[in-house]
Amino acid sequence: METTFFILGVNHRTAPVAVRERLAFAEAEVAPALRRMRGTAASVAEAALLSTCNRVEVIGVASEPARACDEVASFLGADRSVDLDSFAASLYRLEGREAIRHLFRVGASLDSMVVGEPQILGQVKLAYALAAEAGTVSLVLHRAFHKTFSVAKRVRKSTLIGHGSVSLSSVAVGLAGQIFDTLKDKTVMLMGAGKMAELTAHALASLGIESLLVTSRTFDRAVTLARELGGTAVPLENHKPYLRMADIVIGSLAVTRPILGPSDLETVLRERRYRPMFLIDLGVPRNFDERLNTLENIYLYDIDDLDAVANKSLSERQREAEKAAVIVEEEVESFARWMRELEIVPTINDIRESMEHLRDVELERHRAWLLSLPEPERERVERLTRGLVNKLLHRILSGLRGNGAVAPDPLYTAEVARRLLCEGSGALAAAGDDPDDDGEPV
Amino acid sequence: MDTLWYPPAIACYAVASVGFITDRLSGGRRWTRPSTIALGAGAGFQAVDLLVRGMHAGNIPVANFEESLAFFSWLIALAGLVLIVRFRMAVIGALVGSAVTIGGVVAYVTMRHARLVLPEALRSVWLPIHVTLAFLGYAMFALAAVVSLTYLLYESRLKAKRALAPPEAGMPSLEKLDRINYRLLAWGFLMLSAAIITGAIWADSTWGHFWSWDPKESWSLVIWFMYAALLESRLTVGWRGRRAAALTIVVFTLLVGSFVGVSLVFPGKHSGSFG
Repeated sequence: METTFFILGVNHRTAPVAVRERLAFAEAEVAPALRRMRGTAASVAEAALLSTCNRVEVIGVASEPARACDEVASFLGADRSVDLDSFAASLYRLEGREAIRHLFRVGASLDSMVVGEPQILGQVKLAYALAAEAGTVSLVLHRAFHKTFSVAKRVRKSTLIGHGSVSLSSVAVGLAGQIFDTLKDKTVMLMGAGKMAELTAHALASLGIESLLVTSRTFDRAVTLARELGGTAVPLENHKPYLRMADIVIGSLAVTRPILGPSDLETVLRERRYRPMFLIDLGVPRNFDERLNTLENIYLYDIDDLDAVANKSLSERQREAEKAAVIVEEEVESFARWMRELEIVPTINDIRESMEHLRDVELERHRAWLLSLPEPERERVERLTRGLVNKLLHRILSGLRGNGAVAPDPLYTAEVARRLLCEGSGALAAAGDDPDDDGEPV
Repeated sequence: MDTLWYPPAIACYAVASVGFITDRLSGGRRWTRPSTIALGAGAGFQAVDLLVRGMHAGNIPVANFEESLAFFSWLIALAGLVLIVRFRMAVIGALVGSAVTIGGVVAYVTMRHARLVLPEALRSVWLPIHVTLAFLGYAMFALAAVVSLTYLLYESRLKAKRALAPPEAGMPSLEKLDRINYRLLAWGFLMLSAAIITGAIWADSTWGHFWSWDPKESWSLVIWFMYAALLESRLTVGWRGRRAAALTIVVFTLLVGSFVGVSLVFPGKHSGSFG
């Protein structure tokens, strides 16, 4: 029986979030859903369910993948109470090599929205664990998932896919780390409550900073925000005295003209004894005068500067992804080879049995003569026949496993070999019955 | 005299330089460990070389310019190793490695023709103390200049918002570079002060007077004042960062210029060595 690997699902490229969120499964729902699927999708032999914010995929094994995909698609629609027609166009169905490649690429974070992001591997591991818990994983999926993990590890080790900061807040944090040796003794001042600014302040604070000052258009807002982020609120009209304490200033105030200019910071710098300051301007229009960057020991990055760094890292990751694709291809090849061998295992067993049987039959036919031989001679005949059978078997089996070089279609070749070599179904079997095929006296 | 140990030391320095430079160019860290080990091996070989030479001469082997250069290179290699290993400053490996390789090669090539006899007047216990302190001070100043140069390059990149080295590449932060620069200057200044004091004591015991306005003595004093001013500006006004780094490089350039110039132009008690 032929087993084929398949994947059916939607991801951030094929379906908008409105479709993905309706098909998504919460972590606790996954194992029960897999059990339900086993009940309704009869032609699915093994299955796992990967559900993240960017994708919902069923990874499975079946002997009739096309039918299995249909069954899984209807199951998804019925289980999530979504009309199949509303998402059928977004579904991708992959079989065989394509499906294996897809799984490896997902695990190695090559299929992610942000290429190289590290969370996906954990999510794939979780999907595997949940499927194992549901009892829907067997030989092929066990092997496929373990291979996925090792491919991801190999990609991470031999490419720079996870390097560089690709989000504005992580770029800002990275820059802070290049200016300051430690943030433990640094004060961050958050001016204004833009979403990005808040995220950046939060990212910095989570690394452990000395203190956080928060100021905003209205003092109430500043107090609320300070409470949320664990900082101290400072009134906006009175923020200047606090500036010299701030090593990092994040601006996102709604202003018509810059709130900080060179003259403001020149005095601040002197008071700070020229300790460096990192100004992160996330406001549009900009909060900090761009001439500030020319001041000594002041590093000013506005939103475009951060964006440029993020984009650069992203395009570097894209380049690394091409190297990773080569690795994935190698691994797909090796997995496909394993699958092929798996497929011809029953045939190989049949052939082995049939040859062993032939030998037994022949020995049985010559039993009287064999019994007349002295013990050592008899053993030699035993060894001789066994050796002959093993040598023949070895030739046949290595021909069948010939990686496509000898056998372009291994399943077909295996079937031909079975016909030729197994009893009751071919020419050789008939020849085996011919008592005159050996010259030995009876 | 030549020893067997010197050429392998230079070879190790060269290997280390190539490794460190490769890492800097590629932005990786693959060769940092092997290069550090090579630099350490070079310093080890040269330590044996210096020991053999020293035993042969009966004193610290700094009787002429070439030997002094070799000794100075060794001190830089040692101090550089401390920075690279203890302070994770592999980034300076390329410059330090190249400097000691060049210093080593120049000393080796010129040394073949040198015959050295240490003048009787200079054979004293003060010689190794005075010379080692002075050279250690200069080594610190040299490394401070290297660190400052790194700071300036890196700072201008951050200012210009150009290609930023990913943190994975092991680039130290500006704050760290600045702090290490300051520490090197402080240590170098202490060593130089101690060298001047021991020199004065030695002069007094040999010639009967502490100070004789020998050209090298005068220049040492000038250099000492310059470094004192540099440290003072940081401690009182808080000059740091780019300005401090630039000044460190300027003062070190003056130091090298004056000492090489003085050694070659004005003969004096210190002639024969450049320290």
